[in-house]
Amino acid sequence: MATRFGNWLDERLAWRQVWTAIFLRKIPKVNWFYTLGSASLFLAVNQIVTGILLTIYYVPTPDHAYDSVQYISTQVQAGWLIRGLHHWGASTMVVVVTLHMLRVIFHGAYKYPREVTWFTGVVLLLTVIGFGFTGYLLPWDQKAYWATTVGTRIAAAPPLIGDTILRIVRGGEELTAITLARFFGVHIWILPTVLILLIALHLYLVIRIGISSVPKRED
Amino acid sequence: MGDEQRINRRNFLSFATWAIGGIISIGMGIPAIAYIIGPALQRTNTQDWIRLGPTVKVELKTPTLFKFTIQRKTGWIVNEEEVSVYVLTDNGRDFIAMSNVCTHLGCRVRWISDQEEFFCPCHNGVFDKEGKVVSGPPPRPLDRYEVKVEGDQLLVLGG
Repeated sequence: MATRFGNWLDERLAWRQVWTAIFLRKIPKVNWFYTLGSASLFLAVNQIVTGILLTIYYVPTPDHAYDSVQYISTQVQAGWLIRGLHHWGASTMVVVVTLHMLRVIFHGAYKYPREVTWFTGVVLLLTVIGFGFTGYLLPWDQKAYWATTVGTRIAAAPPLIGDTILRIVRGGEELTAITLARFFGVHIWILPTVLILLIALHLYLVIRIGISSVPKRED
Repeated sequence: MGDEQRINRRNFLSFATWAIGGIISIGMGIPAIAYIIGPALQRTNTQDWIRLGPTVKVELKTPTLFKFTIQRKTGWIVNEEEVSVYVLTDNGRDFIAMSNVCTHLGCRVRWISDQEEFFCPCHNGVFDKEGKVVSGPPPRPLDRYEVKVEGDQLLVLGG
């Protein structure tokens, strides 16, 4: 029955071909460092799932942000778990993504024909850092507030345009409800869109070109 | 022997991948469902005796309106909510306290003294002075509160 349904679907979608291309493709003999990309993807899925769940209760206004986060952590069933996974997943993601980048550098995997994979990877790294920066403000506690005060201040460093950049990032002179709302918007709409599109391109290229083998002494 | 040979490295790894994936999905899925439906299952109705006022304030044979405020906690927000109760007595000793919430769809009823009945403006529900349905869509009489008298004070059980 299942096989017949599988065949019926395959005739229309050719999903077996897709499955083979993604999961049964030939790869060179590699080592455990080559799993860091998959680990990053796993963490990204974790962040997306737990992040979506957090928005069910989180409210991005100065009146409610802190209280709603406390409510998630202390009142909602498994809220501590969902928030914990998102919190620790975020830090782990920065670490794993960085290790993934170092592996690519050390194996010289950014070279022809994988330059575009590398470029998208670089933007993905910046996206992940952007997630970390915007997400840090959302609990709206003292640490979040002052870390973002300092963090956004860095944007004011360039001469001439610095002050304008600072005002755009904060949505005004000071860190206010506007800052919180726009950080939230960037964190849950803009960055996820960029992340998902770039991951799709990144993975397409990994599958299309194939992964590089471990370089030998004579390479 | 034939069975043992079929479990090769590829099959084992494929099985292990699905098994681990399944465990992670279940381990994440169950807390996720609990997380979403949790607050819906919480019953935080802690009832308490609320003092309405002195019994002498209740007029004989006509429903008298009493109001009190209760604190209601929804999520992380605490709200003050005003509750209205109509109290009726025939002899000054036995009291009945009725909710002013229409049993049809929850609008507030009010006492029309000329006609001697409660009227709900939403769908023309009418109740008599003891809360029984006279006409209109309400499916049951007005809800009643438990009442007790302590000294000269009238209390109802609510929350």
